[in-house]
Amino acid sequence: MNLLEVDQLRLDIAGVPALRDVSFSLRDGECRALVGESGSGKSLTAMCLLGLAPANAVLAARRLSLAGEALPPQGRRDWRLWRGRRIAMIFQNPMTALNPTQSIGAQLSESFCLHRQLRKRDARHAAIALLERLSIPRAEQRMRQYPFEFSGGMLQRVMIALAVACRPQLLIADEPTTALDVTVQAEVLALLAELQREQGTSLLFISHDLGVVARIADSVSVMYAGETVESASCEALFRAAAHPYTEALRAAVPRLHSTEIMRAIPGSPPDLRQPLHGCAFAPRCGQRMAICEEAPPLLAAAEGAIARCWRWHPEHPLQWRKAP
Amino acid sequence: MLSFIVRRLLSGVLTIWFIATATFFAMHAVPGDPLTQDKAMSPAVRAQLEARYGLDKPLGEQYQLFLGNMLRGDFGISFTQENRRVNDIIREHFPVSAVLGLAALAIALVGGVAAGSVAAHFRNRWPDRVVMFAVIAAISVPGFVIAGLAQMVIVQLNQLAGTTLLPVAGWGSASHIWVPALVLGLGTMAYLSRLGRASMLEVLSSDYILAARSRGISGGRLFWRHQLRNAVLPVVTELGPSIAAVTTGGFVVELIFAIPGLGRYFVQAVQQLDYTVIMGTTVFYGAFLVLVVVLVDISYGLIDPRIRLTQGRG
Amino acid sequence: MAIPVFRFAPWQPPEPVQASVQQPSAQWRPSLSLIAAGTVALAMLLLVALGPLLWQQDPSQQWLSQISRGPTPALAARVVDGERAARLPISPARRLEVLESNTERVQLRWPAPSGVTRYRLYRADARQPGRGLPLWQGRELSYEDRLQLRRKLYRYTLVDADSGLLLFATETRPEPAISVFEAQLQGLLAVADGPHPNYVMLPAHPLGTDALGRDLLARLMAGGRSSLFVGIVAPLLFIGFGSLFGGLAGYIGGGFDQFAMRLADFVVALPFLLFMILLRIVFGIGPGENGIMPLIVAMLLLSWPSSARLIRGQVLALRSQPFIDSARLSGVGTPRILWRHILPNVLPILLVAFSFAIPQAIFTEAFLSFIGMGVSPPSTSWGAMCNDGIKTLLSQPRQLLWPAAMISIAVLAFNILGDGLRDLTDRRGGGQGH
Repeated sequence: MNLLEVDQLRLDIAGVPALRDVSFSLRDGECRALVGESGSGKSLTAMCLLGLAPANAVLAARRLSLAGEALPPQGRRDWRLWRGRRIAMIFQNPMTALNPTQSIGAQLSESFCLHRQLRKRDARHAAIALLERLSIPRAEQRMRQYPFEFSGGMLQRVMIALAVACRPQLLIADEPTTALDVTVQAEVLALLAELQREQGTSLLFISHDLGVVARIADSVSVMYAGETVESASCEALFRAAAHPYTEALRAAVPRLHSTEIMRAIPGSPPDLRQPLHGCAFAPRCGQRMAICEEAPPLLAAAEGAIARCWRWHPEHPLQWRKAP
Repeated sequence: MLSFIVRRLLSGVLTIWFIATATFFAMHAVPGDPLTQDKAMSPAVRAQLEARYGLDKPLGEQYQLFLGNMLRGDFGISFTQENRRVNDIIREHFPVSAVLGLAALAIALVGGVAAGSVAAHFRNRWPDRVVMFAVIAAISVPGFVIAGLAQMVIVQLNQLAGTTLLPVAGWGSASHIWVPALVLGLGTMAYLSRLGRASMLEVLSSDYILAARSRGISGGRLFWRHQLRNAVLPVVTELGPSIAAVTTGGFVVELIFAIPGLGRYFVQAVQQLDYTVIMGTTVFYGAFLVLVVVLVDISYGLIDPRIRLTQGRG
Repeated sequence: MAIPVFRFAPWQPPEPVQASVQQPSAQWRPSLSLIAAGTVALAMLLLVALGPLLWQQDPSQQWLSQISRGPTPALAARVVDGERAARLPISPARRLEVLESNTERVQLRWPAPSGVTRYRLYRADARQPGRGLPLWQGRELSYEDRLQLRRKLYRYTLVDADSGLLLFATETRPEPAISVFEAQLQGLLAVADGPHPNYVMLPAHPLGTDALGRDLLARLMAGGRSSLFVGIVAPLLFIGFGSLFGGLAGYIGGGFDQFAMRLADFVVALPFLLFMILLRIVFGIGPGENGIMPLIVAMLLLSWPSSARLIRGQVLALRSQPFIDSARLSGVGTPRILWRHILPNVLPILLVAFSFAIPQAIFTEAFLSFIGMGVSPPSTSWGAMCNDGIKTLLSQPRQLLWPAAMISIAVLAFNILGDGLRDLTDRRGGGQGH
């Protein structure tokens, strides 16, 4: 049974299609990474899952559900019962994502009071226990301190604490390590993985860093120009990418013990304000075909992967042999 | 924190000393002896003044005397109102100005933050446009014109109602305060709404508001605990200049509404060249404004934890 | 649906078509509000500078016969010799008769009904009910009304003073008139005694007159000269001085910089309006004496620090730029560096500061003139006109509203101009200018 189902999610902001077709799913306890260049719509997808799409946006989806229950329409009041309680989010930059004028303790307790209806004193105890669980030293003193008194890594732990405070079913982490030092990155990643195992939470891990993704994710969905172009298990993706874009993305990652030359992807992502014809990646694709001027559907690829590429069409010459 | 307060207070005292000195030498640079002006003055007052200020003594000694008197809080005797001490004038009339100023400031602060918040929440929609238009109108019209127009409106209203709904001028009851206070606070309110709108817009687009909403915080809790407090901070730093604006704006409003405040007295003293009153009230107002700015600085430190703690350690 | 195999063939790029690439125009286009504000500001300056050439009334000429009037066209006025009493006809009156009716005097006479010994005369605005104002009580059979007559319909009512019984009523509209004395005073008549024409032409007052009978339009233009002169010259001076001082402080640095900034700190701490007033007294100019120059000097002394700080910061930032170093290395002298390299870079910021200082200065002048510490008679300014106008606010609001509107429009125009210029420099400087 899939916990999260996103099928053909489309979002228009002021008439511009920011998300064109986002489709993926998330099993119970699974960690799925959402990767792509900046501007490909990863964070926007997360915002849609929290009901926080911009006010002037129009959202449409064939299916958008959590544990079999459809998410409320954007901007509805019912979202209060979802946000923080069933779906929670960790933000990219912990320095700016915490209220600078309230103490850490006040912000943590607030979540407990709001969602678990604890009394102030109990909420405080719960908050301290949580901070200790997240191995923040001197938690009791730390509760009285303000965000600017914390280091980046510590703040990200606080952000994680805020997110997991009410044991959400779905945890979204939007590039949680990008703003951190490399040494701290590893700790935070380990903590996230540990919490996820412990609480049985499903994790949607947004990143542009394939190295990080390889460490934490069970499966990966790749986004390009507002649509998911490939979804595959982590191993399958790193063994053989099904979509040319994924291949290019992998080739662009520098590797330490490799003689392979790092290759940047030529060209730049399409301007979504202009109407798109055919495959969005075609202009940058090294394996472009004549048919690529038509938009490809999501097609089943090797090893259970799904890719938005005509190469996996059953009538493509390469697929003839496998066809029954 | 303590050292921060002490440092601010010290610089405040230094500024007040500078103001007093500048006032003293400015008044002594006035051509001619202030006592030989062709003002009607009884020999008694003249003798008293000469004795008190030692006008025959060299300037340095006079300056020492002046500072000494000032330290003891003695501003001397009025030139035009015989035997009336400047201290008494201040003591009698400043509370009136203070009440009016505080009312105006409260109206400006609450109104400004409220209007700014509304404008920011309805950005580029009609409430925003209405507020911004009102702001532009209010900062382009001089205070004395607004005061005059307000009086006209009151007269019309009273005529329409047939009774005295609001007094046109004067002082004494609660109903006398509201219109002058509103008029006095209007310019500052406009300025603060502009500021409040800008800072609220910044807060609204900030990560921590998005993060708070993602934790299910909404409605009043979101507004009061997360948005307002952060948006008010930049407005509070402008309190010092706002108080200065309300104080000097009070001169005119008190004049037009016939309110017996110190501001009206100051303008009268200026028009009658009542030197001791001018000197005394200038130093008093100067000290008052400097003190206010220092207090605002300190209170800002109390509100914003970032300043409270970093300044305290530094 | 089958897809033909050739569709999966590698894509062949089409023949390159010479496409004209449209460059996005980088040219700055001024916003509509900026154009409007600039036009209004320019129109105001032109009105004030050239208006008096077109409208040649003396702003301080007092028309005693036309005090606090609304807009009036040019009109012919009967010349009335006020000192000579009107001749009464010999034939007896049959009712309440109007012998002469003009704004200098209304001459009435009436017959003597039997049994009435004392009369009382009332005058009322004909549009309103009632008898109105009691003018006179006595035994004569004629009366000359000289009490603040206007060109509107009056109703005179004559009653028996003892019984209060109504005797007669009549209506009349006085024609415009001017006394010989005033006509001579205004130069409309020769001073010499002798026969004079029956009518003279009175000039028009498009906006009416003030409480002393002076032409409002002429006064608005004369007052605008003072207001805008202060509003433009004072900022020009204090920004010029401040930027010179601040620029030198930033460029030279060291002890001079320290001294300049300490001084700026102290001057900023002074309560501005209080010291404006104090300085004016120091210049030995009492209330009631004119003092545009002291006003400007006082503003210069108190307002320079903000632009000095602004320019110092800019110069400090510029000084460390490589192009200044390279200029110095190639042997360019300090004055030339300041003139050719520093000035062009700070000029846009100065322009913005200048356009924001103008409304500030106009406001300051208006405030001081309003409390009687600015421009005083015989010259005037918009603030001084407001001070005059507020005294007659309840009966004659136009005398306050016109100068108030001029101040507001000028301030608004220059504020919007400043906003627009700031946006422009922000866009050009890539946000480095603050």
